[in-house]
Amino acid sequence: MSLFLLRRALLTLPVLFFVSVIVFALINLIPGDPARIMMGEEASPEALAVLREQMGLNRPVYVRYVIWLGRVVRGDLGKSVRDGRSVLETLLLKLPVTVELSLVALLVAWAIAIPAGVLAAWRRRTLWDYTATTVALAGVSIPNFWLGIMLIYLFAVNLRLLPPSGYVEPWIDLARNLKLMVMPAVVLGTALAALVMRLLRSSMIEVLGTDYVRTAQAKGVPDRGVLFRHAMKNAMIPVVTIMGLQLGGLLGGAVITETIFAVPGLGRLAVESILTRDYPMVQGVVLFSAFAVVTVNLAVDVVYAFLDPRIRWEERAA
Amino acid sequence: MMRPRAATAAATGTIDRTPAQRRTVRRDGLRYLLDRYARNPMALAGLGVILLIVIAAVAAPVLAPYNPITPDFDDLLHPPSRAHPMGTDDLGRDVLSRVIFGSRTSLLAGIISVGIAVAVGLPLGLLSGYYRGRLDDVLMRLTDAMLSFPFLVLALALAALLGAGLDKAMIAIGIVFTPSFVRLSRAQALSEREQNYVEAAKALGAGDGRIVWRHILPNIVSPMLVQASLATAAAITAEAALSFLGLGTQPPTPSWGSMLNIAQAYLGTAPWLAIWPGLAIFVTVLAMNLLGDGLREALDPRLR
Amino acid sequence: MRRTLLVVLALVLAVSAVSVAAPTRGGTLRVGLDADPPNLDPHQSTAAVDRQVFQSLCDKLVDINQELEIVPMLATSWAITDGGRTYTFRLRSGVVFHDGTPFNAEAVKYNFERMLDRSFGSPRFSEVNLITAVTVVDPLTIRIALDKPYSPFLSILSDRAGMMVSPAAARRLGRDFAREPVCSGPYKFVEKRPQERIVLERFDRHWDRSAGFLERIVFRPFSDENARVANLRAGELDIINLVPAAEVPRLKTEQGIVLLERAGLGWQGMWIMVSGPPFNNKALRQALNATIDRRTLVRVVFGETAEPANGPFPPGMFTYAIPANSRIPERNLDLARRKLQEGGQPNGFSFTLKISPGRQPQQVAQVIQSMAAEVGIRINIEIVEFGALLSQLSNHRFEASLLGWSGRPDPDANLYGFFVTGGGLNNSDYANSRVDSLMDAARILTTNDQRRRAYTDVMNALNDDLPYLFLWWPKEYKAMSAKVQGFVQVPDGMIRTRTVYLRP
Repeated sequence: MSLFLLRRALLTLPVLFFVSVIVFALINLIPGDPARIMMGEEASPEALAVLREQMGLNRPVYVRYVIWLGRVVRGDLGKSVRDGRSVLETLLLKLPVTVELSLVALLVAWAIAIPAGVLAAWRRRTLWDYTATTVALAGVSIPNFWLGIMLIYLFAVNLRLLPPSGYVEPWIDLARNLKLMVMPAVVLGTALAALVMRLLRSSMIEVLGTDYVRTAQAKGVPDRGVLFRHAMKNAMIPVVTIMGLQLGGLLGGAVITETIFAVPGLGRLAVESILTRDYPMVQGVVLFSAFAVVTVNLAVDVVYAFLDPRIRWEERAA
Repeated sequence: MMRPRAATAAATGTIDRTPAQRRTVRRDGLRYLLDRYARNPMALAGLGVILLIVIAAVAAPVLAPYNPITPDFDDLLHPPSRAHPMGTDDLGRDVLSRVIFGSRTSLLAGIISVGIAVAVGLPLGLLSGYYRGRLDDVLMRLTDAMLSFPFLVLALALAALLGAGLDKAMIAIGIVFTPSFVRLSRAQALSEREQNYVEAAKALGAGDGRIVWRHILPNIVSPMLVQASLATAAAITAEAALSFLGLGTQPPTPSWGSMLNIAQAYLGTAPWLAIWPGLAIFVTVLAMNLLGDGLREALDPRLR
Repeated sequence: MRRTLLVVLALVLAVSAVSVAAPTRGGTLRVGLDADPPNLDPHQSTAAVDRQVFQSLCDKLVDINQELEIVPMLATSWAITDGGRTYTFRLRSGVVFHDGTPFNAEAVKYNFERMLDRSFGSPRFSEVNLITAVTVVDPLTIRIALDKPYSPFLSILSDRAGMMVSPAAARRLGRDFAREPVCSGPYKFVEKRPQERIVLERFDRHWDRSAGFLERIVFRPFSDENARVANLRAGELDIINLVPAAEVPRLKTEQGIVLLERAGLGWQGMWIMVSGPPFNNKALRQALNATIDRRTLVRVVFGETAEPANGPFPPGMFTYAIPANSRIPERNLDLARRKLQEGGQPNGFSFTLKISPGRQPQQVAQVIQSMAAEVGIRINIEIVEFGALLSQLSNHRFEASLLGWSGRPDPDANLYGFFVTGGGLNNSDYANSRVDSLMDAARILTTNDQRRRAYTDVMNALNDDLPYLFLWWPKEYKAMSAKVQGFVQVPDGMIRTRTVYLRP
């Protein structure tokens, strides 16, 4: 077991290595002077000289990479060009907001997707199934920025039921916080719900076709028992194993959602820093989000390995 | 562990993380696929809509009642009427004409960015899967790494670094999509090279190039088509998203995403500006997804 | 006519604000800003939006009122002697900074030294570098000597250069001062969460007992203008900055919302780079200018929220009435074609127009694009991120660009740096020695009449040379909830919260 864990953990190292290479390359392989890109073109010559020295720009690119990586590993992501704050500090400040939004969105998504997916698979090729799959396909296809605008138009501009945008921390005003979360969470959750529903449906169909479910049915286990005790447990496995992918989708979706609804989380930070060319911050956000996805993938695999010992053998065989 | 991911990849329609689409019906080729596709009404509907949009894009100058970029300063923000079925925009331009011309931008963005991803991803994946070894190891970790980035975050960052403009947005989206095509073609190459007929060809002295070209590539076409059509849907959304955030198409070229950007300012006064371009994106992406799903189901009927 | 009406309207508002019964204390004012203020050190700040926060956070030596007159704040009176070279300020007594440090002449001296310290690199340096000496006469009197007479000096001190920070805090924090600013204003700094909010809280020891009625002020950034309006409507904000043009007509009549309107101080239009092709050819600049219908442009993009412009002095400034400033040229396509001929490009030419991101620049650019196209002038629009655009402009790496100026109360600050040869804001790379000497002369002249005459000649030259096409003067708007009382709108667009209170 521990050998597997070690192996699995070691496998993420090369991935993280390449993640860091890509993030480093984002700024450093683009033509032009990285210091100038970092500071903006209005930087004073003195400040530029200092930064060049700090970045070791007179040294070869791989030396620079090692220096940079050394800083990153120690948690030093640099300072924002825009307001001089530490990048890491800002990221940690924004993280809880995006975590809250993502959790609410995840909750919304699963609450819709799981029953719908089970129903669609269980009542396959019925009106239920067709309705659910069509709605899910629409959910996958609808551009989230359009959905956001339309919701604002309907619920904030026209009906005035919900505040159009903004954010308040839950510990300051929980009711307002939740009210403000409704629309962004729905927008963020829609694509995810559609994804999970489609996934659950197909894995459920697969599971329902397997021998042991047929056996259970043959043994006279009531329908609902088969559905929940046997089929669902197994069908949920793929849904859980792609947590990493879902997280990636949520973080990507947060970029749009937080921008439209003025939610001050990581997504809006990403957009603002990209649009204002705050490159240390861009590097930080991109690195951080990839790191989060890699970590969640690792965590899911580890937890999963504990739950299902067969996995370890499969991995080793592969 | 592996199968679920394959299923997800198919369900999301964008990313394939697995080495195997083992279910792929192996020897029956493109014609069989299309044949089965034709029996799926939803898929056919998707194809029909796509064809209509292609026609709209090609024949835009004929179909559009007005010039999409010439303003009319005396007819600003006119609600939908007989003369302007979708109303006019903030500069008095006909929204219908702009939506029609916008299809050009969207289709172009979808096709070119996926084209880039295929052109780079397919050969890399084939090499990687066919020769294995060091190159394969490195490429796989690299694609793992690229797939760890939230797709839109990476596309945004790349687009910002490359500079504003449709061409740069397409390159950015293409780069971000490349790893999924590397993965797919590698998986196919990997499974094909173990097949008896490849062994046989090798024994008969066929060169690597010939084996890849004659034996492996044809078997990749079908799954590649599925992946490409689903990726096109995602690329169209991505271009619209970048334009919506101001990094894609530049004015006055009509693009559905940038039309939505402007429309935000007039939600209270001219909501029709937000409805039509958004609907256009939605319908196009939906049709593209129907097409992709149809192809996938034709490949693997058990999914239906 | 419309101007008088505006003034009357503003007066009525001001009077009605004053005549209401005693202000209520307490409550939180929620201010919607157009951007997240990046730097809260007045001597380091470069973003316009920072100034909105400083109005509540910091006191200045002097302030301006609605009529753009200089009024006392930390300085109670002043004398200008030595032909305009020496300014002696009498300072207010009993003033303390938020950290308890007393305010006095030594503190003022420290503040100017801070701005003049080259190693500190203050953006205020160029505003105060005419200062040759700052002398403490007595604890409450300070004398500032200038290198040469400079009539806009007091108006400079009504802005960031006149904001006094606590010397103790500034010494202790150095560059980090921006993270916990300590001034002497009626509200003190509590916290800043980037892109989220800035919180100020009432400063109990403020010298002005009749200022600062609120418990707290929360500034929240909404870069999307419609989000600002929507949040005001939804009761999430009490007052917003920069009201979108499309919403003005509706807000005017909306229940529960008060829309304030005034002539602004800024100018907007198009920079033209005159030291390189194609626009080193003056006739081509004149041709382009002749194709533009300013009235239509304003009507289409701004509706009633801006006035067509032809110079840097918007209505309300004492130099407004200069003919070359206020007479709006008609569109003249025949003239445009003649000038194209004269410029050797009878069939037109093409150039790239760089604009900042956002809807309005895009709209303006597209309107001009279609107007110029009628005589064969082809415009490629290129959107450039704001910071990059600024630097490309200051390095003259552009052909034409849409960028304006938020405006200052003194005409000199709306003109000089932009058009003087080699000036820091002279994006056009324009050089005209006659204009230079006229503008220099205007800085020494002391009466408004004399200055107006000098600026008349300047404007005649500028509107012939056309290094900049002045196109519109934005009006100044504030939209606020009806429960906000006592707000006085000053043309500089700053949200001054001293007199503001909330009706319960």
